[in-house]
Amino acid sequence: MVMGGTQLTPRDNLSLELRRGALVLAVLVELRHEEYGYSLKKLLSDKGLEIDEGTLYPLLRRLESQGLLESAWRVEDARPRRYYQASAQGEKLAKELAAEWRKLAGVMGKLIG
Amino acid sequence: MDLIDRYAHEVGQYLPHRLRADVEAELRSLLTDSVEEKALLGGVPADEGLAAQILREFGTPKDVAARYAPEPQYLIGPRLYPTYRAALRIMVPILAAVVLMLVMIGQFRHAGEPPSVAPFIRATGSFLSTLIFNVGLMTLIFALVERTTQRREAAGAVFDPARLPPVNDPDKISYIGRIFGLYAIAALVLLFNFFPDWVAVFAFHGRERSVYPLLEPAFSRYLPLLNTGWALAFALNLVVLRHGRWRRTTRWAELALEVFNAVVLLVIVTGPPVFHYDRWVKLILQVFLAVSVIKACVLLYRLFVRRPAEPWARA
Repeated sequence: MVMGGTQLTPRDNLSLELRRGALVLAVLVELRHEEYGYSLKKLLSDKGLEIDEGTLYPLLRRLESQGLLESAWRVEDARPRRYYQASAQGEKLAKELAAEWRKLAGVMGKLIG
Repeated sequence: MDLIDRYAHEVGQYLPHRLRADVEAELRSLLTDSVEEKALLGGVPADEGLAAQILREFGTPKDVAARYAPEPQYLIGPRLYPTYRAALRIMVPILAAVVLMLVMIGQFRHAGEPPSVAPFIRATGSFLSTLIFNVGLMTLIFALVERTTQRREAAGAVFDPARLPPVNDPDKISYIGRIFGLYAIAALVLLFNFFPDWVAVFAFHGRERSVYPLLEPAFSRYLPLLNTGWALAFALNLVVLRHGRWRRTTRWAELALEVFNAVVLLVIVTGPPVFHYDRWVKLILQVFLAVSVIKACVLLYRLFVRRPAEPWARA
């Protein structure tokens, strides 16, 4: 797989796969409050979850197209920005995924030791 | 920033039209935020150099567009591509063999004359043009099949293993055979509607080639009937490909179509002369008519005598 012009190793691919599901949950949880793309990236980064911008922004649109996020353009500091927030469906899913995540983390914790 | 505008525009070029303006506007806003934030944190000017660095990290416009695209878009998708390659592997050698045979006939006719490369150059030219036309037609057929035969299971549909077809399924279809059927129908429609002069007998007298067209202008009165039959056969092939196997409904449609073909042949055979060498051509058509009637009888036999009662055969 080639990303951003760089060839990804099998380890990178597996690591990406592992993170993919977690990113969706992280985004849905953080978007209980309205954020725009860059502010969300910063918020996640401040909490220790580094996410590539080229991955995050398309993910936001994909979640929106699935009805999990809602968005609106607003002009702030003389610049139009698109603000995203979890929809009712997104919030419900975030709760379900969070429960599943906790369960999985417990099992994985026991497995890994 | 000029670099960001150019980048957003380039990403947009790889996206469907309906997404383009929105994604471009969002990218401009996001990238400008990113440049300003990094300039502030690093105490450096928010200039084109910093923008270039951020864009490099963001990825090539093509990669970024691929991440924004709703789903991969294919002319011929991964499901059909192996069949497409197999079809071309069958078709190309056949075309090459036909052209080679024509060249050899030409050489045979000119036996005793000094050898010349001209026929081979002409043959290569005609092979290439035939190849481009036929590969193009085959590609169009596959693209059509790709768009019309994609099936998505209904949400919540329950998979019933009892409905799995048997290993030796009598209703199994050959995908490649059905697709060659579509290709043949398309070729017939093009031939009879746009190149009727090519429906001809070719004869060679020494260096001269004579062409004897078989169709009289009056033949065109049958074209609407023939086109209807071809259109129905084309549609039936697509439906069968979409189902992935024969069902009772499509078997009945096949029978109805065979009866229709037999009636059309009967109308042509018993009608006024519409062919050069009318007697001979109609003799051949009578053979086709007999084959069509036999095929209709076989289909009827299969539908009534081998009535499917098994769960896998439910339409």
